[in-house]
Amino acid sequence: MNPAQGPFSVLGVFDTPDALLEAIGKVKGRTGHRLEAYTPYPVHGLDRALGYRKSPIGGMVFVMGLVGALSALVLELWTSGWDYPLVTAGKPVVSWEAFVPILFEITVLFAALTAGLGMLLLLNRLPALRHPMLRSRSMALLTRDRFGLAVESAGEPLDPEALALLLEDAGAAAIEVVERPPAPGPASPKLLAAALGAILLACLAAAGTTYWGIKLFPRLIPMAHMLDQPRLDPQSGSSFFADGSGMRPPVAGTVSQGAPPRPLPNAEASEGLVNPLPGSAAVFRRGRAAYDTHCAVCHGLLGNGEGSLTDAYGARPTHLTAGAGRELSDGAIYHVIVSGKNAMPPYSSDLTEEERWAAVHYVRVLERALDALDTDFQGGAR
Amino acid sequence: MTGPAAAARASILESLRPPPVLQGPVRIGDLDDQLLTPVGRRPPLAWFIAFGVTSTAALLGIVLILYTIATGIGVWGNNIPVAWAFDIINFVFWVGIGHAGTLISAILLLFRARWRNSISRFAEAMTIFAVICATLFPLIHVGRPWLAFWLAPYPNQRGMWPNFRSPLLWDVFAVNTYFLISLLFWYIGLIPDLASLRDRTPPGARRFVYSVLSLGWRAASSHWHHYERAYLVIAGLATGLVLSVHSVVSFDFAVSLVPGWHMTIFPPYFVAGAVFAGFAMVVMAMVVVRSTMHLEHLITAYHLDMMNRVILACSCLMGYAYLLEGFTAWYSMNPSIHHTFRQYIGGTYGLAGWITIVCNVVIPQLLWLRWFRRNIAGMVFVSLAVTVGMWFERFVIIVSSLHQDFLSSSWHVYRPTLVDYGILLGSFGLFFSLVLLFARVLPVIATTEMKMVLPGAQPRSGKGER
Repeated sequence: MNPAQGPFSVLGVFDTPDALLEAIGKVKGRTGHRLEAYTPYPVHGLDRALGYRKSPIGGMVFVMGLVGALSALVLELWTSGWDYPLVTAGKPVVSWEAFVPILFEITVLFAALTAGLGMLLLLNRLPALRHPMLRSRSMALLTRDRFGLAVESAGEPLDPEALALLLEDAGAAAIEVVERPPAPGPASPKLLAAALGAILLACLAAAGTTYWGIKLFPRLIPMAHMLDQPRLDPQSGSSFFADGSGMRPPVAGTVSQGAPPRPLPNAEASEGLVNPLPGSAAVFRRGRAAYDTHCAVCHGLLGNGEGSLTDAYGARPTHLTAGAGRELSDGAIYHVIVSGKNAMPPYSSDLTEEERWAAVHYVRVLERALDALDTDFQGGAR
Repeated sequence: MTGPAAAARASILESLRPPPVLQGPVRIGDLDDQLLTPVGRRPPLAWFIAFGVTSTAALLGIVLILYTIATGIGVWGNNIPVAWAFDIINFVFWVGIGHAGTLISAILLLFRARWRNSISRFAEAMTIFAVICATLFPLIHVGRPWLAFWLAPYPNQRGMWPNFRSPLLWDVFAVNTYFLISLLFWYIGLIPDLASLRDRTPPGARRFVYSVLSLGWRAASSHWHHYERAYLVIAGLATGLVLSVHSVVSFDFAVSLVPGWHMTIFPPYFVAGAVFAGFAMVVMAMVVVRSTMHLEHLITAYHLDMMNRVILACSCLMGYAYLLEGFTAWYSMNPSIHHTFRQYIGGTYGLAGWITIVCNVVIPQLLWLRWFRRNIAGMVFVSLAVTVGMWFERFVIIVSSLHQDFLSSSWHVYRPTLVDYGILLGSFGLFFSLVLLFARVLPVIATTEMKMVLPGAQPRSGKGER
């Protein structure tokens, strides 16, 4: 854009609103330039004297109010009637009467924001912090108690002497030629570097804050209240019952459903138990499902004591397919499943009687598979 | 018409003419010196003492709110069936306080009541601060304020939308819209004053702040042209808004089935009560401001008189509403509603009911006397009574109705805890701290609007008189 040359305007300052109105009558139509008045408060009659057309705000507000009403209606109908039809109080999902209050509020919101921001940003082109008038010496008077009439250039050159004479004839108490502010030069490399650096820092700060916010926020004390419940966690004692257990033992003589009672006082007593299930493919499959679901996270999919949780948990699960683990009898493994051992909790509530024995079978399958005999391979694999 | 009759008629007409809005000769430029000079100056000692007291109270409230959030709302006295208590009472109370500001700035503007110009800025600021105090309470009332964004209708991974049929959601929209529009209205009114402040301030950091805040306002007539129109349009919209906001607040109660709440009188009853309490607060604040900042010639006895008349009118409306509540209870022939109404004026919380009636209906009748409308001590007494009475009115509506509902096995006597009282005190502290800060950093009287109504401010030709 070619920068305009010469002064921005010639400004006459008047003492009273009457003098201003009178001067407008004298100057109007005699310059060929734009006329603008400056008053500390709205002076009635200026609109007509300067020939302003009616402000378009009313129409803008009407249109945007309608847009607001329609947006609210569509939002309410679509969410409540279609996307998430929620029946409350037996009302139909499209109960338009209940949508009226929010419809009204959104309409007012759109309309009032249009009036306010539309007036400031669109019609008055504010903020305008570099406007030539803001550098005028008379500005302090014009926002206080004096009245200005300016002949302004929209880019075309002005004739300051002639205009000053014209305004003086019209009764101006003082005349000022308002210059254009110097055009801003190109930004220095230093400034550019500083700005880019600031943007980079802001991005890093935002990224870091978001990352740590999302990571830490749900774990902070009030936010984590859902986790803080009066329940009995594994490996902890109850403060409710004197003996520290979370529930009362069943009444003496209670028999559980689905499985015969099997008193298991200790590991020695379980030694001699015999796996009641046949070693069939169906049982192995069942055992594999149980083992992979419940045991593998610690003992590993191969039974080698290296499950996915081993590192996080800190305990060393037994290596089931080598060493001492391999020497365990079926009954001993069964006993540990039922009663737990060291850091391992009991699994009697998670596995049925049949699943336990099937898992024992599967441990044997793993042992055999990892240390297979030649005869195990059909057709001779070597 | 003959001589004596004409003279009598003239004297009656003269007595009906509104007195001048301002006292004594005031020149346009002097207004700037009086109203804008104190802005940003070092305040007197009394201000520091007052601010110390209010900010300490606010701090107490903040600490107790943090305690509530960290511990859970079990630290309050609320318990089923009184699930709403101080939190909602305070919310309704503070939203109501705000309504006077909008009424003064918007409705009185539309009615061309010129006396509003002296008090509009302060009342609008009070609206914003009161709404800030009000929104605090539902936020902590939800128990997990960090999840309050669930109230916003946005597409989310839960696949759920808020229930647009719920008055509680209407409330969210109404109060937030109200806050936003009040802020916009207040800010637009401030822009010309900020420009005046900018031009009075020597270059420096403070001038830069005023420049940015005034958006480079240059008082051009082409700007005023749109400005006045927009101001009027927003005033019109705010009028509808202010009526809707407290109506929606009343729907929180009226749309439910609780005996004592399910009444069609609630929306107008709440709006009148809100204006009532708000004007009482404005009167108390203006009395302090005009004496400490020496603005007696701008906020005259006439202004206070007019505000007190509004209070008196609202008091009569409140009395009518209370009577009608009794009538509705009786006419419903519903034993549950009969019982609830008896709880209002008898029973555990009967005293609260009588405080409400005496403070809101009986004491304001003193304002029929001119002396009470114009005497500072008299009007402060009445306004204080109204503030107390309106708080207790919400207590009666909420707690008295809830504590004995349909299911007599659940009846429960609500007792507030110290935390409840502390947060209430804190909200007053926050409100007055904000008011005091406002009085120091921004012009308390809309200087530009005052200039408009000064004698000699408009052209004598009068063609543009509106």
